[in-house]
Amino acid sequence: MAKVQVLNVAVLDNPSPFGNPFQFEVTFECMEDLPEDLEWKIIYVGSAESEEYDQTLDSVLVGPVPAGRHMFVFQADAPNTGLIPESDAVGVTVVLITCTYRGQEFIRIGYYVNNEYTDTELRENPPLKPDYGQLQRNILASNPRVTRFHINWEGCAEKMEDSENVDPAPIAMRPPSCTPGKAPPLGLVPDNSMDCL
Amino acid sequence: DKLTRPWLPVSKPIFSVDIHPDGTKFATGGQGEDSGKVVIWNMAPVLREEDERNENIPKLLCQMDNHLACVNCVRWSNNGLYLASGGDDKLVMVWKRAAFIGPSAVFGSSSKLANVEQWRCVMILRNHTGDVMDVAWSPHDVWLASCSVDNTIVIWNARKFPEIVMTLKGHTGLVKGLTWDPVGKYIASQADDRSLKVWRTMDWQLETNITKPFSECGGTTHVLRLSWSPDGQYLVSAHAMNNSGPTAQIIERDGWKTNMDFVGHRKAVTVVKFNPKIFKKKQKNGSTPKPSCPYCCCAVGSKDRSLSVWLTSLKRPLVVIHDLFDKSIMDITWTLNGLGLLVCSMDGTVAFLDFSQDELGDPLNEEEKNAIHQNIYGKSLAITMESQLSSTIIENPEMLKYQQERQVNQNPNEAQGIGPESQTPKLTNVLNGESLEDIRKNLLNKQVETRTADGRRRITPLCIAQLDTGDFSPALFNSVPILPGSSASTQLTPQISSDSSTANSLGLRPSHDPTTTSPNKTAEENKDSATAAVNSIGMKSNLLLTSASKIEPMKALDSRFTERSKATPGVTSVPLTIGITPLDRVKDCSSVKEPKGKDETSSDSEDKIMVKSMAKRKGEMEGAEVVEKRKKGRPRKDAKMMPISQPFPQVTFLLSKDAWTSKSMDGVSTDGVTYLEVENEVSVVSGSRLSQLKWSREGREWDALLPSRIIIAAGSNDVVAVACEDRTLSVFTACGRRLIPSIILPAPMSALHCSRHFVMALTASATLSVWDVQKQTALVKNESLNPILSGTDATVSQSFLTQQGVAVVSLSNGKTYCFNSSLETWNLIADKQDSLVQCTDFRNCVSAQDALGSMGPLALTQGRNLSAGRLASRLSSTPHHLQQGMTLAFLEKQLSSALVLLSASEYRHWLLIYARFLVNEGYELRLRELCQDLLGPVHKSSSSSWEPTVLGLRKRDLLTEVLPVIGQNLRFQRLFTEYQDQLELLRLK
Repeated sequence: MAKVQVLNVAVLDNPSPFGNPFQFEVTFECMEDLPEDLEWKIIYVGSAESEEYDQTLDSVLVGPVPAGRHMFVFQADAPNTGLIPESDAVGVTVVLITCTYRGQEFIRIGYYVNNEYTDTELRENPPLKPDYGQLQRNILASNPRVTRFHINWEGCAEKMEDSENVDPAPIAMRPPSCTPGKAPPLGLVPDNSMDCL
Repeated sequence: DKLTRPWLPVSKPIFSVDIHPDGTKFATGGQGEDSGKVVIWNMAPVLREEDERNENIPKLLCQMDNHLACVNCVRWSNNGLYLASGGDDKLVMVWKRAAFIGPSAVFGSSSKLANVEQWRCVMILRNHTGDVMDVAWSPHDVWLASCSVDNTIVIWNARKFPEIVMTLKGHTGLVKGLTWDPVGKYIASQADDRSLKVWRTMDWQLETNITKPFSECGGTTHVLRLSWSPDGQYLVSAHAMNNSGPTAQIIERDGWKTNMDFVGHRKAVTVVKFNPKIFKKKQKNGSTPKPSCPYCCCAVGSKDRSLSVWLTSLKRPLVVIHDLFDKSIMDITWTLNGLGLLVCSMDGTVAFLDFSQDELGDPLNEEEKNAIHQNIYGKSLAITMESQLSSTIIENPEMLKYQQERQVNQNPNEAQGIGPESQTPKLTNVLNGESLEDIRKNLLNKQVETRTADGRRRITPLCIAQLDTGDFSPALFNSVPILPGSSASTQLTPQISSDSSTANSLGLRPSHDPTTTSPNKTAEENKDSATAAVNSIGMKSNLLLTSASKIEPMKALDSRFTERSKATPGVTSVPLTIGITPLDRVKDCSSVKEPKGKDETSSDSEDKIMVKSMAKRKGEMEGAEVVEKRKKGRPRKDAKMMPISQPFPQVTFLLSKDAWTSKSMDGVSTDGVTYLEVENEVSVVSGSRLSQLKWSREGREWDALLPSRIIIAAGSNDVVAVACEDRTLSVFTACGRRLIPSIILPAPMSALHCSRHFVMALTASATLSVWDVQKQTALVKNESLNPILSGTDATVSQSFLTQQGVAVVSLSNGKTYCFNSSLETWNLIADKQDSLVQCTDFRNCVSAQDALGSMGPLALTQGRNLSAGRLASRLSSTPHHLQQGMTLAFLEKQLSSALVLLSASEYRHWLLIYARFLVNEGYELRLRELCQDLLGPVHKSSSSSWEPTVLGLRKRDLLTEVLPVIGQNLRFQRLFTEYQDQLELLRLK
């Protein structure tokens, strides 16, 4: 099970003009202190036809993350219109929020996005070249699609165990400067048990 | 008896059922839609029909879909705080109830059925490489055991998850059942390898391997849940065979005999469960009370879909219920009062059986049960004591404090989760009194955003609740965003919900539909609701565009929800730095040590050391490091050789006969290094050779001429002693003034030590003397070493003098003695071969601070032995009670040794460990004696011989330190209160 559970994502500033930044308020809960940051990304799907047109709008690190419930607002600029196929500018597409830990994606939250002209005239007779200034973006906030992936949260688990298994006692018990006993001859047998004298 | 037909609306297989120790709820585990499923149910509707009909009483309390695959076992901890579950996803999860008010559902889940109680996974235990089949909490929840199809059993430290105590290996087939001995001595496991194994908990080794009753068994059952009787006398297996018929094998604890079995089921027995109560025959009114033997009661479930209940006092089953289910019985659980029984089946139902006392008998109360245990097992039933203690009322507020501290220490992971009371202030702290709504309005502006070194954005999330609190408004879930003028944002939502009511069967499910309970997404389901969503959008935008043309690309979009995108490769993960620090330290150590070692060996060839000298080591008593160096020729300052700090610079060295100048540099402190330099035969005056002793520190220096060749010199901060070839000993002050005329020794000097104003001399004739040159008295008068040397061919290997003037002599046979001048005896203080040392284990009594305080003469003599003993204790197979006794003896020896060595800091150190050990192991009498000695008489009386101090430490101060240790064990709360009060009384005087 994941150490991080997303409890809620609220879509802010929605609907909004196409050029406005995306804003998601994310609430998540973490079971234990995370030694590393979470990486969140917003991906805008430019075209349903191909992943080629996916744009990563932004990625942020979120941390430090101690155990507990946290929230933050993830704001990212609107997609680069130049990278969107003109035929796909208007209509339904998808925006994805993903979170990775140690380079592994463990949750993907998807929303349908409907881009449409607010102006009735434009709606009925959309221009060939999309007029992004007139487009309104509407995220279907009520129906997030959440997919969770099983990842290895421990990353370097073996390493950590090793260091735990080192018995600290010998170091603690012995003064660091002590040198091996050296006994003179004449039947005085050196005895290692007295190392510390 | 009464049989309630199952009402639980579940159709997926249920593999496990367990009633909570408080009897108010029970958990089931099994298959969910596309995941494993743990469900917590309310018990009341099962017990009472009117509650079942009452719609205000919830039946289902919480559903957890976190297991990725089927859940095979759910078990409550004995204290009822935790639920452990194990599943086909190879994981064991530990659940804890969150102090959450109000219902919630899983984010993104299609199920909107709210959970009444919040159970949160607080720990995931990963180790098994195959499906986890059974989990079991040990008596008093010290360990959690899990078994798996990977053929192993893992024992987890339930007080320090996810620490693994031991992995039990030995089964050669899928391990399908576990049961702890109620006394805590054993754990038994049954596997498909046709064996039942009993393991000891003291060393986790195999106690016995029983194969005969299982030789005809095939691996046909999903589980093999065996059970141990509450009196500990019988272990009953699941599936066994006798004369080609399926049985449940009874194994007697005494000799692990297998002479009896439960016969009658037509197919393999999957589960056996003993009633937690021990019963005695119900006394009928009027009949003369006969002494009747107490007996146990056991339920047996089988693949033949029937259930039988047996009493150990009867030859035939008490009751058999056939065809209870459509499929195999998978698990059985008894209510705590022993009169109710829940049975679950692969067919997805749970049945409840209710017995009356007439049928089963009178359950013994806990005291009677303990008495039985006491009779059979003697004192070992601290376990039952502890289970009783859990219900003990804490009578003393101080006690409560220490109990809480202990809990915090034990569960660092849950430190934040002691209780809702303690968290509320924390929460307000976090939120600064602002309401969550206020915070959300400004979150974007207020949140801290920085740039990392490589220019990336990094947001510090706002912590809105500590773990396990969740006392903030549940309205947050699935809430609509609050924005100034956000009324527009809601316009989409109502539209969609109205759409969904008209949507087709694939459409959005109404939120109140209780049958859809799967939050985890399969691609298929994704498509279902995706289409629904598309439909909704489509309908809404019907006016705007021709939806049909747009639906095709939608389906293409669906895959984006579930597939990891190539666009999210993630950042390169930063390598962990954990583990490097200790390594570095080790490296540092060795780098310091190595050159020293070289110096030692090189000087070997240079030094030609004379008669009977002994390797001389200066023991700096205050725990500082000592470095000694011998070098021919010029004095050389070697930075590496300098110890870090030493409060009392001391000088010591050993001189070679050949009139070489020896330098000894010993100790560095703020006031610099002291050099003691000896030059033999500096000049010859009228036929006699003169030797010179030079002393220097920070530019100050003095020298003294002696008429004979110097063989040994030693010094402390206060005095310098020099022994000459003519068997004289001269003692000077640190300023070079002769303190006493030459002492004539009975034999040539063998070893000489100075410590503060004490001088110790070991002569070649094996006698020891110690003088206090300040008071000019003898502490030890020419005492023979014969008592310690006779009978052995051992020789003196080391010797030193403590700061308190106690002489310590070590022999080559590993024994170390000190001379006790008040008793005028030699006392053994350390023995390398001592088996007690080898087998002790008190590590859990040593706190972090203790490790630092253990420096002193005792540690110096024993240092290595101790750690060796600790390692040995982990490997050796010493029985626990033996080890306990050995540890006790060892600790008492340490305490008395510290006393004899007059080492106050070590005395205190071992006293605290000793107290902790007594508290942990429950030695009340010794603890009481210890406290009494530390407290002394409360009222002054002249006849009392009680000393208020020991080694300069005030005993009552020590008691003040010991009391918090005692306060950590509830069992000793009376003792705690008693001494706490008396101390308080004395303080007021």
